[in-house]
Amino acid sequence: MLLFALRNLTRRPLRNGLTLSGLAVAVAVLACLLAFGQGYRRALSAELNRTGVQMMLVPLGCPYDAAARVLKGKTLDNSLPESALAAVRSDPAVAIAAPLLLAAVPRPAEGRTDLWAGLDKTSLQLKPWWRMKAGRNWFASANSVILGDEAAAVETRVPGDKFYSPETGQTLRVAGVLERSGTSDDSLFFVSLATAQKMFKQPQRLTAVAIRLHDPAQMSDALERLQKIPGAQVVTLSEMMGTFLNLVGTVRTLLLSIAIVAVTISVLGVFNTLLTAVVERMTELSLLRALGASRSHVFGLIALESLLLVSAGSLCGLLLARGIGGVFENLVKRFMPLAPTESLFTLTPLIMLQCLSLGLGIGLLAGIFPAWQASQMQPADAVKLES
Amino acid sequence: MTSAPRRTLFKLLALLVFAVVWRVVNPPETPLVVAPRHLIEAAPMCPWRQPEADMRAFFPDATGYRTETLILTSHLRELNKLLGRRPTPDENPLYVHRVLSHSRQIGSVLVRRVKGEYGAIEIVLAVKHNVVAGLRIQRLREPARIAQALNSSAWLHSFVGKTVGSSWQNMPPVPTFARVSAAAVSQGARSLLILHEVGEKSGTINGAPLRQ
Repeated sequence: MLLFALRNLTRRPLRNGLTLSGLAVAVAVLACLLAFGQGYRRALSAELNRTGVQMMLVPLGCPYDAAARVLKGKTLDNSLPESALAAVRSDPAVAIAAPLLLAAVPRPAEGRTDLWAGLDKTSLQLKPWWRMKAGRNWFASANSVILGDEAAAVETRVPGDKFYSPETGQTLRVAGVLERSGTSDDSLFFVSLATAQKMFKQPQRLTAVAIRLHDPAQMSDALERLQKIPGAQVVTLSEMMGTFLNLVGTVRTLLLSIAIVAVTISVLGVFNTLLTAVVERMTELSLLRALGASRSHVFGLIALESLLLVSAGSLCGLLLARGIGGVFENLVKRFMPLAPTESLFTLTPLIMLQCLSLGLGIGLLAGIFPAWQASQMQPADAVKLES
Repeated sequence: MTSAPRRTLFKLLALLVFAVVWRVVNPPETPLVVAPRHLIEAAPMCPWRQPEADMRAFFPDATGYRTETLILTSHLRELNKLLGRRPTPDENPLYVHRVLSHSRQIGSVLVRRVKGEYGAIEIVLAVKHNVVAGLRIQRLREPARIAQALNSSAWLHSFVGKTVGSSWQNMPPVPTFARVSAAAVSQGARSLLILHEVGEKSGTINGAPLRQ
């Protein structure tokens, strides 16, 4: 019966090929969306966990925007007083409080922006990925700068070289170059906190304080105390992740709706193809019945054709998804603010199984009516239709 | 159909489905010999930041440009001799922006990042028939007095008319404090000119032989 069904499908290659392509595209879109959603959740979680930070003290304003900008090495419009750092450090639940001053120096004539980060030594405890490619892992003097890997390549600097900041008039000496980490650190210029405050005329000011607690179970108590610091607010990393996922989830729901419409259209395509095939083959099917094929045989034959068609369509769709996944990711990342640096496209076996099951399910659904109609053929119809 | 061939056919089909799914889950492996990541010194390609303005300045008749890649691998011996050193990894391939007037090529623009005393210096070199038609510094982070010396029109104009065979020692004097960066710029310009001339002579474009 399988060979018979296969032969029937190959008898009309163009029609069945088009139906199969439609289904493949629908399954590919669905697989891409599911893979992208899962990859985004995983990459975001990994990126936030890698920072080793549980909370972030930021100036008043939109807390999620502020914390996200700080994590990505972008500057904020307002700042915190340095007294906030002392207040955070005095909290008994806080293990590490690392101050940060970020400054973006736009260079419009050159079409680029210099990103500077001022750190103090506690930051090293929150940056386990900081490994030096060359030179020292901390500032040798107030005039030392550490460059991210990409920043060093673009500025052709190695440890010991001079490095000048035209906007602030500061001449620095490169103390070290970081190994590539795949984070925003790769393109930053790091100086000591005091140097950054002096260079950017922000005495006693901070952009944020990154916080790690002794025990994460103390988070709610610590949060309550830290929220009382004047001019500041606290954002927990889990809140941030939840907000990001909600934002992305809304877009994902919209896109999934489009994918479902595409799948529905392809189901109707399969239904139409099979129904047309049944109508065209009425004589043949009646003849089969006249030769002794039972109703269930005929029903099984059409249902099998439907299953073969959708299985092939779903497999092609998965292969297509695998092929276009990277392109899809690049396209999405371009329009996505603060996208994680890791790969977002994760086509897991579970997602493939889900898409295959959906394909087979809709194949069965689309095949039932044509198969039932075919099984209703009477042996006598063969004679009537022939005459 | 008897049950034995049918069973065999089902097994074959199952095997095929398994093979397809396995290939999708496990894409082909990357080559076995992969250089350690930290050893790859891949400086990002130097962009041409203001093509419109540069074309207006160096080639007033220009209507557009197209970028081509010259592969110089087969000319390492010649380049060694002309440059007086081994070409660096970022010198091959050479990106050439061919400046067009309608569909006719009227010159080329080459862009290069060189190591200045205080940071990178990006130079834009305009070339016409293997002769320098102009030079501009599109980015630098040198202190103001050095930047001023490097951007002085007298010094920049002294590059016009230079060829690979010209004397590059006889450049107009620059103040002592600007010598290191000035030397980097003139060496960078000369290297670019050599790479361009060798590439145009017999290099390959995007992997295909260059038309003479």
